[in-house]
Amino acid sequence: MIDEVRMVTRRLREFPEDSWTVERALDDGAYEASRKAVTKMSADDCIALLKESGLRGRGGAGFPTGMKWSFVPKDVFPKYIVVNHDEGEPCTYKDRELAESDPHQLLEGITIAAWANQATKAFIYCRGEFALGSRRLDRAINDAYDRGLLGQGIYGSKFDLDIVLHRGAGAYICGEESALLDSLEGFRGQPRLRPPFPAVKGLYGRPTVVNNTETLSALPHIIERGADWFRQWGTERSPGTKVLSVSGHVERPANYEVPLGTPLKDVLELAGGMLGGRELKAIIPGGASAPLLTSTEIAVDFDALKEAGTMLGSGSIVFMDETTCMVRNALVTLEFFEHESCGKCTPCREGTWWAVKVLERIEHGEGRKEDMDLLVDIANGIDGRSFCPLGDAASWALRSNVQLFRSEFERHVTEGRCPFEGELTTVSGSRTKQTGLGDAGVAAQPSAGIASDEEP
Amino acid sequence: MSTSAGVLSDDLRRTAAEIVGKYPNSRSAILPLLFLVQSVEGHVTENGMREVAEIVGLEPAEVLATSSFYTMLKKKPQGEYLVSVCRNIACTHRGAREIASALEDRLGVEIGGTTGDGRFSLESAECLATCDGAPSLQINYEDFYNVTPDGARALIDRLEEGRETTSFRGQKVKSSKEIAREIATSGLRVPGTAGDQQERTIGGESPRADTAPGIRPKEKGQERAPKNDEGRTK
Repeated sequence: MIDEVRMVTRRLREFPEDSWTVERALDDGAYEASRKAVTKMSADDCIALLKESGLRGRGGAGFPTGMKWSFVPKDVFPKYIVVNHDEGEPCTYKDRELAESDPHQLLEGITIAAWANQATKAFIYCRGEFALGSRRLDRAINDAYDRGLLGQGIYGSKFDLDIVLHRGAGAYICGEESALLDSLEGFRGQPRLRPPFPAVKGLYGRPTVVNNTETLSALPHIIERGADWFRQWGTERSPGTKVLSVSGHVERPANYEVPLGTPLKDVLELAGGMLGGRELKAIIPGGASAPLLTSTEIAVDFDALKEAGTMLGSGSIVFMDETTCMVRNALVTLEFFEHESCGKCTPCREGTWWAVKVLERIEHGEGRKEDMDLLVDIANGIDGRSFCPLGDAASWALRSNVQLFRSEFERHVTEGRCPFEGELTTVSGSRTKQTGLGDAGVAAQPSAGIASDEEP
Repeated sequence: MSTSAGVLSDDLRRTAAEIVGKYPNSRSAILPLLFLVQSVEGHVTENGMREVAEIVGLEPAEVLATSSFYTMLKKKPQGEYLVSVCRNIACTHRGAREIASALEDRLGVEIGGTTGDGRFSLESAECLATCDGAPSLQINYEDFYNVTPDGARALIDRLEEGRETTSFRGQKVKSSKEIAREIATSGLRVPGTAGDQQERTIGGESPRADTAPGIRPKEKGQERAPKNDEGRTK
């Protein structure tokens, strides 16, 4: 079995009892890298080093971090750092653990990003539901101020940095960086038209760097040990390590940090293999947005997964075994996107809504033989036509479920029931409809699904 | 500031001013201020939204527009304990439906409902980033891992009996008003032991004249009404 390569998860795995305290973090060498950056390196040096390292954003898009920084205009002040800690991609829980268990690593990373971009104020947009994580970050920020690690003239330099903790209030779309900025400004969290990109016009219309928690947590290590050290792991185009959130039907679901390019079968082995030794059926390789895989014979990195028609995304991997109903999987996934669609653009708002209705009637044994084509048609109607990537993601997930497991969908229709179980319940709201509309999808309704809309 | 509508006490009005002080633009304080309202009223009330609008200098309709978008800001009265059962992919495949059913039966309400005595609200939640403990649930945003139907029922028993309940991560479950208060006041600086907290303000000498001063909460003499000094550009 392969070993993990622990970079951003080293401290929290080595010191699980107190890795989150300032005492442990300082004792373990925290803030040495940010001190080095602020006192010994110029901002341009930092950006150049980041570019050399090839670090790609760990939030989902995989955009090179150094390049993102280089888009920030040098002569416009103030500018802001915004930490995207609104982790909401289904089955992703790496940022939660990183900030909860090693908040000082994140604060150190923010300091480096702030120095490199000459920003004196940073906002951490912390997901509203992260109660413990927020407590730990709050405490860490206060401890850092008390020790002069934040505030005016840090490390005896002339550089000031303030970090403000901000809580979200429950909206997946706020993980999209421009929607996050709108939310942080006190608006509904809906995505902005781009360009202009946040690097040029972001928070309050100022140049803004939005980086993910895991991305920022990697910075101290790159500053401290250099680009070559970082590049010893991973591939040429996907260097470094990545924290993978492994879940589903595995023996040991957890966050595992491995070099990018690690074979997927090794990741499954790290997680203890399939639960109860059952057969693997499907894999979500990068969050709910990523099209499914059916084989572990692939490397986990940005490019290999892209070539396979899917994506690394946020690095969450869900293994599903032979007992999994893929219609239900599609339904749960699309209910999620339907619920989280912000409503701004029509293809996403309407497309996810109709997809859920069709999936519900298939799952409840009311499906029609043309429904599979209808679902693909709905997916095609959203893909490439939505305002932001949420709609695209929903369409990819929908299409891949239907196309890869079409025979299973057809079996639901021909048998008039879910072959995996007899119960006619829905996922959210176990007996009553919550996410569908009215009685659509309830088996007792003879014309469930879309047709029921025509009834009074 | 007057206390005409009377949702926020004078004390909470001072807290509200500190919250506004966290941000360069007072509008950014809308979400935490709405949590502050929820900590008093149990949900976001119309009077509460009017007060928030007055504090940040906007129309009540603008505050409503923001408020209505977010699931954690509750539109109707909530129970003392909000039980959120994750219904997303990993949890569903590992038994979330059974947990939801067990809780519906135990509490006698459907998903989305609140018990008659006002003690419990039950909801389904999207991925709570606790997939390593699927199926999972939160009670007032504290995590519970590897939940079974029996375990879920036992949790309710425990809370009903008024016994202290701690999460998977060893955190005490707070009441819904307490947790709303905590969310509202997240990120307010707590005076530390360094002793120079009052002096360590920003906005005095800045190394770069062209850098906007940051504003630190909990500073004395910062009673001034917040103003929108940076416009929104969209």
